[in-house]
Amino acid sequence: MEFKKIVKTILFWEILQGMWLTLSNLPPWNAVTRQYPKEPRYSDPGFRGLHALVRNPDTGREKCIACGLCAAVCPSRCITIHTGEDDKGEKIAEEYEVDVLRCVFCAFCVEACPVGAIVLSEHYEYSGYSRGDFYFNKERLLDNWDTFFPGEKGKWYMDNIWKHPNADDYKAHDDQAVFHGIQKEEKQ
Amino acid sequence: MKALLETLISPGSFDIIINIGFIFGKIVIVVSVVMLAVALAPYFERKVIGHMQVRMGPMRVGPHGILQPIADALKLFFKEDIIPAESDKVIFFIAPVITMFGAMTSLAVIPWWKSFAVADINIGILFIFAMSSVGAYGIVMAGWASNSKFSFLGGLRASAQIISYEVAMGMSLVGVMLLSGSLNLSEIAAAQAGEGLFFFKNWYIFPQIIAAGVFFLSMLAETNRTPFDMPEAESELVAGYFTEYSGFRFSLFFVGEYIAMFVMAAIGVICFLGGWSGPGPSIVPLQLLWFVLKLCFVMFLFFWIRATVPRYRYDQLMAIGWKVLIPLALLNIVITATLKII
Repeated sequence: MEFKKIVKTILFWEILQGMWLTLSNLPPWNAVTRQYPKEPRYSDPGFRGLHALVRNPDTGREKCIACGLCAAVCPSRCITIHTGEDDKGEKIAEEYEVDVLRCVFCAFCVEACPVGAIVLSEHYEYSGYSRGDFYFNKERLLDNWDTFFPGEKGKWYMDNIWKHPNADDYKAHDDQAVFHGIQKEEKQ
Repeated sequence: MKALLETLISPGSFDIIINIGFIFGKIVIVVSVVMLAVALAPYFERKVIGHMQVRMGPMRVGPHGILQPIADALKLFFKEDIIPAESDKVIFFIAPVITMFGAMTSLAVIPWWKSFAVADINIGILFIFAMSSVGAYGIVMAGWASNSKFSFLGGLRASAQIISYEVAMGMSLVGVMLLSGSLNLSEIAAAQAGEGLFFFKNWYIFPQIIAAGVFFLSMLAETNRTPFDMPEAESELVAGYFTEYSGFRFSLFFVGEYIAMFVMAAIGVICFLGGWSGPGPSIVPLQLLWFVLKLCFVMFLFFWIRATVPRYRYDQLMAIGWKVLIPLALLNIVITATLKII
């Protein structure tokens, strides 16, 4: 062993280095903790949180046409749709249920929907005392839309975040994975 | 008994009663202050370690978690007291009491300032060694009586570790005894007093730097602190010797351990850091202030090391104790004695 190493061993040099590191972390302003309920963490736009059914501002009803594509594409089979007819004989979703506890938040349903009727909101702080609290029926999903996408926010969301790939002005990012494989050229 | 009664009613008995009252008063003061400090020490420890790990530590109970010790104490107090069915009940019951007793009795001889110790006896250092050995009995008994393999292993490790490190620790303080020519803690501290700018020039940490190092390491091992917390190694032994203890009995162990830390820190301060000596005039409040500040610094060292260093392996621990620390302490004795004669 060379002399330098012996001296370092005797003086616990490496332990002293470690102790300097911990000491330099000691000042309270170095702490990176976020005191969560007091300092909430706001999710970024496009965060895939709680589901919402889009309310059509013209009719006041859901946009959903009960095609069942979302239920078909859902990998965790958490969407249940009961179809029916309205007065004019058009197909509507009589009931639209999402079992949030089973959902994996892949947003495939959002991409599959041909009319942009279901979205995922930024809201993630939901808790309940029973399983039923996480079984969202059509009314609760529509309420979610009213609550988490009030006013212009819903429009902005549908234009920027959840724009449907089949829309005319749809343009994906170059590195964005797109469900349909559509990567349209920008319209000149 | 008759003799005692006669003494009590004799003309001089008034002085004796006053004296006993005085001692009781001192005991109450020391115990209550130390218990308060013991309540705050885990909070301080959690805060220090938390911030060293870029966390915040307790933050919820009161402003910056300052009421956390009260919440912890209440929780421990109302917890169910579980006693294992196969345990040796009597030993199980008295083991935490013995640990606590050993730790708290040591407090009696610590001089908090120049003329204040509950019992200013001439063999203070020996007394503290004896009492810390008694505390180790409690640990071993707890490990045995719990009838659990984790407790048993913890107790075995504790006995081996504490016995071997007590040797190194005792020998490291022989140098201090040689220099000061006394076993009385007050006299040891008084021998290091200094004035003016270089008030620290008489501290024994400078002539006894080897002994101070040996003492510090064996102090960590003696109080079962990281990196030598083998008896309660939570990653291998659940909680070591007090695995089966719950509620108030557990808190007795906990308090005993922290008091033992305070006692060891106080010994270190008195023997190496000059006790109550410090800059400024030698008045009682300042003496107490310097003593408490040094004590806090040594406690902070405990926590600092816990936040930094991982646990040693068991055989490494024994190797350090027997092959490094004891020879170093012996060497220090030889050097000190030779220099003293010259």
